[in-house]
Amino acid sequence: MSVEYQGLAARASQGDVEAFRRLVQDHSALVYRVALRVLGTTDAQDASQEVWVRVWRNIGRFRGESAFSTWLYRITVNTCLSVQRKESRRDEREHAEGIPYLPEPSGSDADPEAAALGAERRAEIETALGRVRAEHRAALVLRHMEGLSYAEIAEVLDVPDGTAKGWVSRGRAAMLVAMSDGAAPSLDRNLDGNGG
Amino acid sequence: MLEKIGAYAAGELEGEEAREAEQLIFERPDYSRLAESYARMLVMLNTLGSEPVEAPEVVVGYAVRRAYASAFMRNAEVFLGSLGRTYLDALFYYFGLRPQRRESYGGGI
Repeated sequence: MSVEYQGLAARASQGDVEAFRRLVQDHSALVYRVALRVLGTTDAQDASQEVWVRVWRNIGRFRGESAFSTWLYRITVNTCLSVQRKESRRDEREHAEGIPYLPEPSGSDADPEAAALGAERRAEIETALGRVRAEHRAALVLRHMEGLSYAEIAEVLDVPDGTAKGWVSRGRAAMLVAMSDGAAPSLDRNLDGNGG
Repeated sequence: MLEKIGAYAAGELEGEEAREAEQLIFERPDYSRLAESYARMLVMLNTLGSEPVEAPEVVVGYAVRRAYASAFMRNAEVFLGSLGRTYLDALFYYFGLRPQRRESYGGGI
């Protein structure tokens, strides 16, 4: 499949729009999904369109040294981060006053997978994601929502492996703090009073 | 500690580090709850991440239209460029501005 996409990319770089159309059709969900997770619903569509404009403009630079999807992830994340930079910087809280907890699910909500599918829970996750610093959020999305390895994340974000790990780790912590803030009334945030 | 327990909940610690985290979680109920919270959050992220998402049709349409327009402009540029050069060549020929060439075409030895 990867070889097929490399062939399509090579044809697209020669101006073959039909080859480009195939690439767009097969990867539009990937681009939109990442934009949606990193930027939220409001900006995801415009960012996705911008990604494809950049892909068409730069496809001649795709050398096939990595998978086409890795190259595409890189353009998508860079586009999302540049959209994000236009907005004001967000304050990320990586450290809670106490230890952050998520409330115990109750009743039919006890199955965490089923709970995650609820509209309210989904909105809660999206809001919390929006409170994580953009680079950390991108790393978190790539790791825990897209399932990329640290080596792939490092390649996409163009940073060393250690930095990629650090960003995912900080993103996870900030996300938990943000989620526990959102669920504050039901939390006991002051157990022992030491967040470590 | 917050990040370390997060890494443990994500299954990313090994050897001594993993044993240290396990010890803390075993000994301290607050860290145990923290690990559970992380695990719950990661399941939610994973579940949300595996939900199918379709890009709006307008995104695909826009991308392809832009590519067609760009390819058309590129081809038009090449065509007009070569047309311009041909006219210029004809003009040079008509006014005799082209430098004389030494080679002959047919008949000469």
